[in-house]
Amino acid sequence: MQLADHLDIAPILLPLVTGAFLLLFDERRHTFKSLVDVAATLGLLVIAGMLVAQADVEGSVASVYLLGNWAAPYGIVLVVDRLSAMMLLLTALLATAALVFSLARWHKGGPHFHSLFQFLLMGLNGAFLTGDLFNLFVFFEVLLAASYGLMLHGLGVTRVRFGMHYIAVNLAASMLFLIGVSLIYGVTGTLNMADLAVRIPAVPAQDRALLEAGTAILGIAFLTKAGIWPLCFWLPGAYSAAAAPVAAIFSIMTKVGVYAVLRLSPLLLGARAGDSASFGDIGLLIAGLVTMTFGTIGVLASQAMARLVSYSVLVSAGTLLAAVGMADAGVTAGALFYMASSTLTIGALFLLVELVDRSQDPAANVLAVTMEAYGDDPDEEAIDEEVGVTLPATLAILGICFVLCGILLSGLPPLSGFLGKFALLSAALSAGDDGAISGMAWAFFAVLIISGLFAMVAMLRVGIRTFWAPPIEGVVPRVLVVEFAPVALLLALCVAMTVRAGPVMAYVDATSQSLHSPDAYIEGVLSARQAPSPKMETGR
Amino acid sequence: MTELTLSLAIGVLTGSGVWLLLRPRTYQVIVGLSLIAYGVNLFIFSMGRLRSGVPPVLDRGGAVDPAAYTDPVPQALVLTAIVIGFATTALFLVVMLVARGLTGSDHVDGREP
Amino acid sequence: MLGGASLIWMIVLPFVASAVAALLPSNARNAEAWLAGAVMLAIVIMVMLSYPDIAAGNAVRQTISWVPELGLELVFRLDGFAWMFAMLISGIGFLVVIYTRYYMSPEDPIPRFYMFFLAFAGSMLGVVLSGNLIQLVIFWEMTSVFSFLLIGYWHHNPAARDGARMSLTVTGIGGLALLAGMLLIGHAVGSYDLDEVLASGNLLREHELYTPILILVLLGAFTKSAQFPFQFWLPNAMAAPTPVSAFLHSATMVKAGVFLMTRFWPVLAGTYEWFYIVGLAGVITLVLGAFFSIFQQDIKGLLAYSTISHLGLITMLLSLGSPLGAVAAIFHMMNHATFKASLFMAAGIIDHETGTRDMRRLGGLLSAMPITATLAMVASAAMAGVPLLNGFLSKEMFFAEAIEHHADSWLDTAAPYAAVAASTFAVTYSIRFIHSVFFGTAPEPLPREPHEPPFFMRLPVLLLVLICLIVGIIPGRTVGPYLHSAVVSVLGDSTPYYSLSVWHGFNVPLMMSIVALVAGLLMFLVIRTYLATSEEGPPFFRRINGQRIFEQVMVTVSWRWARFLEGWLGTRRLQPQLRLLVVIAFIAGILSLWRGPMVPDIRLPASSDLVFSALWVLGMACAIGAAHQAKFHRLVALMLLSGAGLVTCITFVWLSAPDLALTQLLVEVVTTVLILLGLRWLPQRVQEVETPAQAFWAQLRRYRDFAMAIACGLGMAIVSYAVMARQPPQTIAGYFVENAYPLGGGSNVVNVILVDFRSFDTFGEITVLGIVAITVFVLLRRFRPAPESIGSTEQQRHQSADDPAAKPGAGTIASDYLYVPSVIMQWMFPVIIVLSAYLFLRGHDLPGGGFVAGIALASAFILQYLAAGTRWVEERLRVLPVKWMGWGLLIAAATGMGSWVPGYPFLTTHAQYLDLPAIGKVPAATALFFDLGVFALVLGATVLMLIALAHQSIRKLRVAKTAAVAGQEAQ
Repeated sequence: MQLADHLDIAPILLPLVTGAFLLLFDERRHTFKSLVDVAATLGLLVIAGMLVAQADVEGSVASVYLLGNWAAPYGIVLVVDRLSAMMLLLTALLATAALVFSLARWHKGGPHFHSLFQFLLMGLNGAFLTGDLFNLFVFFEVLLAASYGLMLHGLGVTRVRFGMHYIAVNLAASMLFLIGVSLIYGVTGTLNMADLAVRIPAVPAQDRALLEAGTAILGIAFLTKAGIWPLCFWLPGAYSAAAAPVAAIFSIMTKVGVYAVLRLSPLLLGARAGDSASFGDIGLLIAGLVTMTFGTIGVLASQAMARLVSYSVLVSAGTLLAAVGMADAGVTAGALFYMASSTLTIGALFLLVELVDRSQDPAANVLAVTMEAYGDDPDEEAIDEEVGVTLPATLAILGICFVLCGILLSGLPPLSGFLGKFALLSAALSAGDDGAISGMAWAFFAVLIISGLFAMVAMLRVGIRTFWAPPIEGVVPRVLVVEFAPVALLLALCVAMTVRAGPVMAYVDATSQSLHSPDAYIEGVLSARQAPSPKMETGR
Repeated sequence: MTELTLSLAIGVLTGSGVWLLLRPRTYQVIVGLSLIAYGVNLFIFSMGRLRSGVPPVLDRGGAVDPAAYTDPVPQALVLTAIVIGFATTALFLVVMLVARGLTGSDHVDGREP
Repeated sequence: MLGGASLIWMIVLPFVASAVAALLPSNARNAEAWLAGAVMLAIVIMVMLSYPDIAAGNAVRQTISWVPELGLELVFRLDGFAWMFAMLISGIGFLVVIYTRYYMSPEDPIPRFYMFFLAFAGSMLGVVLSGNLIQLVIFWEMTSVFSFLLIGYWHHNPAARDGARMSLTVTGIGGLALLAGMLLIGHAVGSYDLDEVLASGNLLREHELYTPILILVLLGAFTKSAQFPFQFWLPNAMAAPTPVSAFLHSATMVKAGVFLMTRFWPVLAGTYEWFYIVGLAGVITLVLGAFFSIFQQDIKGLLAYSTISHLGLITMLLSLGSPLGAVAAIFHMMNHATFKASLFMAAGIIDHETGTRDMRRLGGLLSAMPITATLAMVASAAMAGVPLLNGFLSKEMFFAEAIEHHADSWLDTAAPYAAVAASTFAVTYSIRFIHSVFFGTAPEPLPREPHEPPFFMRLPVLLLVLICLIVGIIPGRTVGPYLHSAVVSVLGDSTPYYSLSVWHGFNVPLMMSIVALVAGLLMFLVIRTYLATSEEGPPFFRRINGQRIFEQVMVTVSWRWARFLEGWLGTRRLQPQLRLLVVIAFIAGILSLWRGPMVPDIRLPASSDLVFSALWVLGMACAIGAAHQAKFHRLVALMLLSGAGLVTCITFVWLSAPDLALTQLLVEVVTTVLILLGLRWLPQRVQEVETPAQAFWAQLRRYRDFAMAIACGLGMAIVSYAVMARQPPQTIAGYFVENAYPLGGGSNVVNVILVDFRSFDTFGEITVLGIVAITVFVLLRRFRPAPESIGSTEQQRHQSADDPAAKPGAGTIASDYLYVPSVIMQWMFPVIIVLSAYLFLRGHDLPGGGFVAGIALASAFILQYLAAGTRWVEERLRVLPVKWMGWGLLIAAATGMGSWVPGYPFLTTHAQYLDLPAIGKVPAATALFFDLGVFALVLGATVLMLIALAHQSIRKLRVAKTAAVAGQEAQ
C-alpha cells in the first residue's frame, strides 16, 4: 500500500495525534497551541476535500480501509463513500470556522480547549467513517466525551446546569445503544454493517422480533442524539448555554444521529431486508413532523437569539428525519442538500448571535468570559482585552449577515436554504409511486412551508428589535475581523452552494441513489482484499 | 437455571438502576447509572450465551475447536463497555460536584423544586 | 436587434450597481444619483431597443442552466406584456431616481437607500422577465424583502418599523403560498417552464388540483396587490420615503399581483371559482378602497387607498374572464402607473416644501407653487377619469365591460352599480385632494414657507403628466401598438377587436362617467365641511383597524400561543426527560417484540447451580438495597453498589471470563475511591417535612417510577433469557478463536481481539478515557465547593473541641488516624508496581494487559496519596499524568502507523516471542507496544482524575472566601 492509500484514516488520526501532541505542552502557550490547532484543522479540510473528490468518481464503489489488515466482517473497516465524505467536509468546514472564531478569546476560556476540540473532530470523523456497529458506538462515545468537555468550556452556572442534563440524557442513551448493538449481535452474530445487511434477510422468523427490538432500541439511541421530539428537551438549553464556537461546531452533532439513521435505515431495513423492510419508517416520518412543529413553536416562543437558533436546530433535525422516513431517493437527495445548507447556516448564526448580543450589552460578554473562566484562579493570567483589528462599519455588516442568515434559515429565495426546501418539496410531491400525492406527503409539504414562514416571523421580530429599535444607536459592539471572518466564510459557502447548486445537487443525487440501492456498498465492503500478509509464516 | 438466574439478575440490576435514574438527586442518578451499567454489561455478556467451566485461554498449537470455547466477542465488547462506563461515571461524578458547588444544590435541575 | 443576452443584463446591471452603491461613502449623494440614473437609463434604452423583436410577436428567450436535477433553469423571457412592464419599471425608475436626488436630505444614509432601491429594481425586472415559475417566485420574494428594507429605511420611526414588518409578513405569506401553488402547477404540468405551462391551460383547468392551485396563486397575487382582505398593509407602507411609495407602492411592486393574474389568465381564468374569488375580492377592494380614500387626512394615505381601489378595478376586470376585460385591465395598469406615480411625487414635493402632509393643515398652495399645482391637478383629473386623459379611456372600457353580461349571478348584476359608485368616490377624493391642498387657505401658518421646488425635482412629474395628456388625447397613435403587442402576447389568438378612440358616441359608459362626475362633485360639496376637521379614517370603519387586528393576531398566534405550547409540549427539567427516554425505549422494544414468538425452543438449561443462584440472591439484595438507601445514606448505598459489582465480578469468573472479572474488579476499586473522595462535597441530606398533599403526590410519583422500573427490569430479563435460550447463530467468533494464536500470536483470545482484531475499538476507548480525564481536570481546576462543605470534617471538629491543645481546624487526634495503614501502604508501593508489570507482560496470553496494569499502578499511586497525603507524595514523586496520557496516545498511534512502513493498513500487528530472564517466553507482538500506549494512558488518566479530586482538600481553604460569594450568587 502506498501512503496515499492511508488517506481514508487520516481524518481520524490527524486530530488524534494533534490532540495528544498538544497535551504535552503547558496550556499557557496559547499562541503555539492555536497555531498547531489551526494547521491541523486546515489539513483536515484539505483531506476532506480530497476524499470528496475521491468519492465522487462516476460509478465508483466506496473505498474500504481494513484496519489491522483483517478482512470484513472480522476486522473493523472504514468506508469512504459519498455520504461520509460529504459529512467529513461539512465537519471540517464548520470546525475551521468555529476554531478561527474561538481564537479571538474563547480558546482561553479554559485549559486544553484545543485538545478537546481536536478529539471532538476525531470522534465526529470516526463516526462518519466507520463501517462497524460497535465501533460506531465507540466513536459516539469519543465525540460525546469531547462534547461534554466543550459544552462545559468556560463553566458558569447555566452551562453546568444544562450541561448536566445533556450528559445525563446522553449517558442513558448510550446504555440503550449498547443494549441495541449487543441484541443485534446476539441474533445475527456479526457487527459489520455490510455483513448485517447480508444476514438480516436470512434471520429466521422466530428471531425477527428480537432483531427488530434491537434495531428499535438502537434507533431510539440515535434519535435521542439527533434531537427528536419528545427526546430533545435537553438540546435548546445545552446549545444556547454553550460558548458560541462550541455551539457552532455542535450544529453538526445532531446531524451525527441523523447520519446514523440515514446510513442504517436504508442499509439494514431497506427494500432488501425481507420481512423487516421499511421497519419504523412511518414512525420516523411522524416523529419528524412533530419535531418540526415543536421546533417551530420553540423558534416563535424564544426571546433570546441563541435559544431561537437552538430551536431551529430542532426544526432542521425534524425535517431531515421526516425526509428519511419518506424513504424515497429523491426526497433523500433534497434532504442532503438541505442538511448541508442548514448546518452551515445554523453554525454561522450561533457565531453571529454572540457578536450581535454584544451590541445589546457590550460589557456583559467580556465579563462572561473573564468572570466565569477566571473566577477564582490566581494561577491563570487574566484575559488580555481583545488584540487585533476591529471591524469597520460593524453594525451595517452584522446587519447584512443577519439578513442573510434570516433568509437562509426561513428558506426565503434565492439562497441555498430555499433550494434545499424546494428540492424537498418538489421531491415530496412526486414521491408517490403513481402520480397521486400521499396524505403524509401533504402533511410534510404543509409543515415545511409553515415552519419556514414562522421562522421568518421570528427572525423579523428579533432582527427589528436588535438592529432597528432605538437602543442600538451609540452602542456599537467591538468585533474583531477574526471573529467576523468565520461568519462570512460560512455564509459565503451557502452563497456558493446557491450559485453552483447544479453540481452539488448532482452529488447528493448520486449519494442518495447509492444509499437506497446499497448492493454496491455491501459488495465493496465484503470483497475488500487484504494486503498480502506475512503472518502465515511468522505466526508460530 | 443459570440462564434464568442471570437474566433475573440483569432484570433486577436494570430495574433498580432505572428507579434511581428517575430520582431527583444527582447522587441517586449516578448510583443508578452504575447499576444499569452492571446490568447492561451482563446483558452484553449474555448475548454470547453462557458457558461455565470451559478454558478461557487457548492451549497452544494444534487445531482449536471454536465450539469448545465461550464466544469471546461479547467479552471484548464488555471490556470496552466497562472502561467507557468507568470514564463516564467519573465524569458525571465530577460534574455533579461542580454543579453542587456552583448552584448550591444537589438536585438534578440545579435548584430545589 | 438586441439578443437575449440583453435580458440578462437588464437584471444583472441593477444588482451590480447596488453592490457598488453600497460601497460608496455615505455623503456621496450625487455619485449615487448619477450611478443609479445611468443604470436605469441604460435599461430603458435596452428595453426600447428590444422592441422590434417583440413587435414581430415572438418572445425573446434566453436560458441558463442552473439546477437541471430539479428542472430549475434560469429562463429570461421578454414578450409584449413583459416589455410593457419592463418599460414602466425602468422608465418610472429613472424618473424616481432624478426625483430622489432632490427629495432625500443630506443627513440620510444615502448609500443604503440606493443599494436597496437598485436591488429592488433588479428583482422587479426579474419578476416580469422570468420564464420559469420557480425563478418568478424567487424574484417575487426578493421584491418583498427589498420593499421591507426600503419601508424600514427610516427605522428610528416606529411607524416605519411596524409598516415594514407588516408588509413583509403579509407579502411573505403570499409568496410562500405562491411557491406552493407553483410547485403544484409544476407537479400537474410536469414542467416549471412558463411557455409549457401557458400551453397546457385545459389540462390545468380540468386537473384535480385546480382549486388548491388557484387559491394558492391568488393568495400570492392578492397579498402583493393589496386586494381585500389583505389591503391593510399598503397604507402602513406609506411610512417609506416618498420616492419608494411612488416607485414600489404605486407603479411597480403592487402591480406584480395583477401582473401575475394577467400572466396566468389564459390558463386559470374562465372558471366559476376564478370568477367568484377574483371578482368578489376585486369589487370589494374597488369600492371600499375608493370610499376609505375620501376620508384620509394624510395625502399619501389618500393616494394609497386610491391605489388599492384602482388595483381592485384591475382585478375585477380580470375576473370577468372576457378578453376585452383583460385588454382594459392591461391598459389601466399603464395608465394608473403613470398618473399615480406623478401624484405621489407631487405629494412628496408638497411634504418637502411645506413640512406636512396633513390636508387639515394645508391649503392655498396654488399661489405658492402654481406649476406643481397645475401638474397635480391634471394628474388627479386623470385619476378621477376626466375625459381627454388616459384614466378616462381605461375607465370607459371598464364601464363597457361592467355592463356586459358574463356569468349569470348577483355579482354580475351588481357590477355596474359598484363601478359607478367607485368612480363617484374617485371623483370625490380627487376633488378633495386638489381643493384642500391648493385652494382655500391654511388654517394656521405652515411649518415651512412654501415655494416651488427645484426644476429637476418637478421634471419627472411634468414628464409623467405629459404622458397622461398625450395618451389621453391621441391614444391610438401613441400607446396603441405597444398596448396591442402586450395584449396579443397574453391573449394570443383570442385577442378581441377593441378601439382606443376617445369618442365612442353617446353610449351607456359615457352616461355612467357623467353620472359619476356629477355625483362625485355633489358628494364633495356635501361633506367638505365635515372633512375639513374630521379625524383620520372613514366614519363607522374607523374602529375596524386592519393594522390593529393584524397586530393582535400576530401577537396571539406567534407569541402567546407559542409560549404556551412550548411550555406544554416541552420541559426544562431533567426527570421528565429521563422518564420519557425510558418509557419510549421500553415501548419501542415491546412493540417490536409483540410481533413475534419470544421463547421458541428452550434449550436444556446449563448446569443448574444453587451456589450461583444464592450468590445472585445476595447480589440482587445489594442492588435493591442500594436503590433504597441512595437518598439518605450515601455511604451505605456505595457499599451495596460495590457489593453488586463484586457479585458481577464473580459471575464473570464463574462463566469463564477472567479478563472481565479482573478488569471489573479493578475498575470497581477505582470508582469506589473516586466516589468516596467526592462524597465529602455533597450536602447533608435531612428528611424534609412535607405537607400531606405533597407526600401524597410524591408517593404517587414513586409508584409510577416503581412501575416503570419493574417494567424495564422485566423487559431486560425476558429479552436476555430469550436470547440465551436460543441456539447461537453462526457468529464471527469462530474465526477469532481459530486464528487468535496462528495469526494474532496470542492464546488469550479476548486480549487478542482487544489489541489486534478489534484494536481500533480499544484505541477509541482509551481516547474516551483520556478525554474524560482532561475534562475532569478542567472542571476541578475551577471547582468552587459550597460554603457549608468547607473546613474540617465534623468528626475532626468534635475532636478538636475536646482537645484543648489542638490548633483550630484539624484535630490532632484525627490527624494521625491513618498512621499504621500508611506505613503498610508505603511498603505496598513496589509490590504493586511489580504486580502491574507482570500483569502487563502476560496480557497477551493470560488475563491481564495494558489496561489492567495501568489501573493497578494507578491504585498504587492513590494508595500513597491516601496514606501520606498529597504534599508528601508530590515532594517525592514527579507526577505528570497529562503528559503520560499524551505520550500514551502517541505511542499507540505510532505503533499503529508503524505498520505503514512495510505497507500494511493502520494497526496491523506483527507477532514474535522473546525470552526474558526469569519471566520466560514473552510475546513481543507489536501489539505489546500498543498495549504500552494503553498502559501509559490509563495510568495517566486514572491518576489525573484521582489526584484532581484529592487536591480539592488542599484548595478548599484558599477558596473558602470566593466560594462563599459564589454560594450567595447561586441562591
